[in-house]
Amino acid sequence: MEILIYGIINSVTLALISLGFTLVYSISRLPNFAHGALYITTGYITWLFLNKFEGFPYPFAIFIGIAITCIIGALIYRFILIRIRGMEISEIIATYAIGLAILEGLRWGGLRGMTFTLPVFYPGTIEIFGVSVDYQRIIIVIVGICTFILLYLFTHFNKIGLALRGIAQDERAAMMLGIDSDTTAIISLAIGSGLAGFAAILLLPLGNIIVEAGYNVLIFAIAVCVIGGLGSWGGTVLASFIIGFAQILTEAFLSTHYQMVVALLAIIITLLVKPSGIFGKQKELEERV
Amino acid sequence: MKKLIYFFLCMGVAIGFLLTPTGVSYSAEEPIIIGAPLATAFLYGWDAERGIKLAVEEINAQGGVKVGAKKRPFKVEVIDTRDLEPGVPVSEALLAVEKLILEKKADFIVGGPVRSEAALAAMDLLSKHKKVSIVTTGTLTPLYNKRVADNYDKYKYCFRNSNSSLNMMNEFITLLEDMKKSFGFNKAFIMVQDVEHARRGGEFMKKGLSDKGWQVIDMKIYPTGNTDYSLGLTEAKNKGAEILFIWMDMPESAVLLKQWSDMKIRAIPLGFVCAAEQPGFWKATGGKGEYLIVNVCNGGNAPAKITPWTMKFVEAYKKRWGLEPEGYGTSSSYMAVYQLKDAIERAGSIDPEKVIKALETQDLMGVYGRMRFDKSHQIIPSFDPKEGAVTCIFQWQAGKRVQIFPPKVAEGKIMLPPWMK
Repeated sequence: MEILIYGIINSVTLALISLGFTLVYSISRLPNFAHGALYITTGYITWLFLNKFEGFPYPFAIFIGIAITCIIGALIYRFILIRIRGMEISEIIATYAIGLAILEGLRWGGLRGMTFTLPVFYPGTIEIFGVSVDYQRIIIVIVGICTFILLYLFTHFNKIGLALRGIAQDERAAMMLGIDSDTTAIISLAIGSGLAGFAAILLLPLGNIIVEAGYNVLIFAIAVCVIGGLGSWGGTVLASFIIGFAQILTEAFLSTHYQMVVALLAIIITLLVKPSGIFGKQKELEERV
Repeated sequence: MKKLIYFFLCMGVAIGFLLTPTGVSYSAEEPIIIGAPLATAFLYGWDAERGIKLAVEEINAQGGVKVGAKKRPFKVEVIDTRDLEPGVPVSEALLAVEKLILEKKADFIVGGPVRSEAALAAMDLLSKHKKVSIVTTGTLTPLYNKRVADNYDKYKYCFRNSNSSLNMMNEFITLLEDMKKSFGFNKAFIMVQDVEHARRGGEFMKKGLSDKGWQVIDMKIYPTGNTDYSLGLTEAKNKGAEILFIWMDMPESAVLLKQWSDMKIRAIPLGFVCAAEQPGFWKATGGKGEYLIVNVCNGGNAPAKITPWTMKFVEAYKKRWGLEPEGYGTSSSYMAVYQLKDAIERAGSIDPEKVIKALETQDLMGVYGRMRFDKSHQIIPSFDPKEGAVTCIFQWQAGKRVQIFPPKVAEGKIMLPPWMK
């Protein structure tokens, strides 16, 4: 039962971490390597508002943290990525450099040490079938599932969401129908960054806000997206569950210190067997040829 | 007219006298440069930097260091070695040390490099440039002083005034044996980080405790950055562990403590937990780190009355930096500057050979006890501050770090969480 419960928690955590990265890539074909930096930025901004302004309400601090991250994401596209759109290597280098600048800038600006933390939404633990689970992790699972449902509804029943899907499916056809590619890219970067921030708000109360976590988040987001298939939402969810359960099973039956090996091994196997990932479409034709 | 000439002459002499350096004490003398290679973005770097600067300010305020007939001030040059950052190669730290020696013209090296691998590699560099160094933080490997013992002529420049991991293990086992007598504990569960020093620490404890008749249930090794310890803690709970021995320097170890508290595990956490050293840990965990027992390597890294100097240092640190000494590396870095001052004054020179001899014969009552180096240039440890350098093992109690070991300098007794009573 422990494996099942903590497997689900771990999987939803990975899915939340990867969601923003997948969304941006699926819509704009932009690999946002600043994803991890935006994750930490949200946590730090929220922490700043909570700790520097006494009595500042936690929900408002969260809202401001996510809103600022959304704006940063939009600005990254509007002022930097727009100039190199389509040049894949340049996009990777530029987003990675931005991420590096943000993370190291935060470190330089004072985000050092282990005392930067956010409070949990609801303290305490509960026993589920004899397994002790803290409320924050239960909240993560529930909110994570709700986020997936809301995103599905947004991209299927909302005008902006439909435009985003239109661009993702066929950019030229969508442009012919009057959907502006750059505007949707700005929106996708803003939402993707916001999702990174949202994941941070849910997950960071379990630990500390540290610069190194930004790099770890990026590694896991890439691992999940490569295995699931870059840009595939279904693939992201499935890959999260594969890695999530594989890690828990490794911890239970092998040794905890092989957890990272399992994730990296899964990437290598996927790349060997199906380079486009489980649900990836990008290289499917090349693979068939 | 004669009176006027005489007046101007007197004025000229007076002004000339005021402007000449003879009236100035140490400030005109060439400073003695202390190079401090430290990982400044991390606790073990910045607390050492603060300790060194505080000591230098105090010494300079008293006129400086007496070198022969002159009094010379200390000057600190800090450089970021980045050696605690993931993925940064050892060569970066070596470049930093070399820059201090060649560009900044450091006369002595105090502090780091912080990671053992980098400090070991820097030993050759120090030997090449004949620079006396006192390692004060981070480097715990017993290999450091073993090298000095094995090849004295080459590595005689290297000293360490902080603890070594071998000695820390001895301290832990003594403490656990005391707890066995007091509480009847005999089941331990080991949780360590997947890095060399922690794995070795865990293995050593496993063997050491088994030899003493303890039942070691399991040893879990967690990858750096791990944020969920539920399965390990559940196993510890189900198998009746009474002690959770932790050896981790990653920030995520705070998650382990939070989960331990939330799950009300009937085992007391104890070990080397970097995240729990700082005074801010209590607030950061919302008090969930209460009852955790932490080894911060040297006395004075948390408030305690070890020697008359300890609380004076704590108060001076609080006044200068606005908070209590933060953790491992603070008191030792502070003391290293005073040890250097004492050695230079007794040697009457900054010549490395003379300073080495003076350090080797040094016997100083410092912040954490009597400070003497053994033949391998390792500070001599003891459980009694009158005999040697004592450690600081404290327990978090009601928001305070209370020293509970060694018994001679303990300020409180070990408390068990309510769910263990």
